[in-house]
Amino acid sequence: MEPIKQITLEKTYDASVETVWQAWTDPEMLKQWWGPKNVSIPECEIDPTVGGKFYIVMEAGEAMGDYKGTLWPMQATFTAVEPNAKLSYTAQAWTEGAKEETTIDQTTDITFTEVDGKTTVKVTAAIYKAGPQAGMAAEGMKYGFTEQLDKLESYLATNK
Amino acid sequence: MVAAIFKLTDALDEHSALAISFNHMVEQVMTLNAVFGSLSDPTRRDILRRVSKQNLRVGEIAKHYPLTLAAVAKHIDVLHRAKLIRKSRHGKEQIVSIAPDTLVAASQFLETYQQLWQDRLDSLDTYLQTIKRKE
Repeated sequence: MEPIKQITLEKTYDASVETVWQAWTDPEMLKQWWGPKNVSIPECEIDPTVGGKFYIVMEAGEAMGDYKGTLWPMQATFTAVEPNAKLSYTAQAWTEGAKEETTIDQTTDITFTEVDGKTTVKVTAAIYKAGPQAGMAAEGMKYGFTEQLDKLESYLATNK
Repeated sequence: MVAAIFKLTDALDEHSALAISFNHMVEQVMTLNAVFGSLSDPTRRDILRRVSKQNLRVGEIAKHYPLTLAAVAKHIDVLHRAKLIRKSRHGKEQIVSIAPDTLVAASQFLETYQQLWQDRLDSLDTYLQTIKRKE
């Protein structure tokens, strides 16, 4: 089946591949960065083995106004796990209370490559199916992530 | 508006995300699957381009393709179900026109999805810097 949309992004981090891998596979570490600042992660379960589950829930915080309390779960199954090299999963992500209308079926491949102590993470995310209201869910997340970008900007400015 | 639609359809051809300004009031109740499904067919993309320039009768559209009128009408129905076009009747003639809001909303969804991942990767960077300082 062909995806309806595929995106590829990559970013290089000033950290070892072991550290970056840990940030992606340790539930307590994932909770620290997976969601934007005004979104908390009330639940995160991860079993990074082939066939293992990855369940993570984002909850909209106070700063998100009307979206406050909205839950965005993602339920995934790992299809490839190569420690310090590759993670692949198939997933469904949705807005709680409107699963049928908002579910996005997707696959995600993440590769990790270390060169001279810096680690490049490449994410390829493919969407196979998007519910009729998935756009609305994404709009809610966008609000959150825009806030996060603003905070990141001020953080970088004060920590020069 | 027509120029904007061309940019949208071209960009969808290339499967790239778009940086466009959009109307927050755009009706979001649409089936993204139907939208992307319709746009996956080159004939339907071509029909959409034609009606983005001007309103056309079904017969006027059909003459550009080596297909039966019924086959072209089916393609038009698929576009209509995805709310990419509107159909109106003037006497015996059925007029097809573009419904630009759906394309705008679809590209907005893609842009948002891409931004979500971009921001998540940036957030990981901030986090890794934080744990590095603690070490």
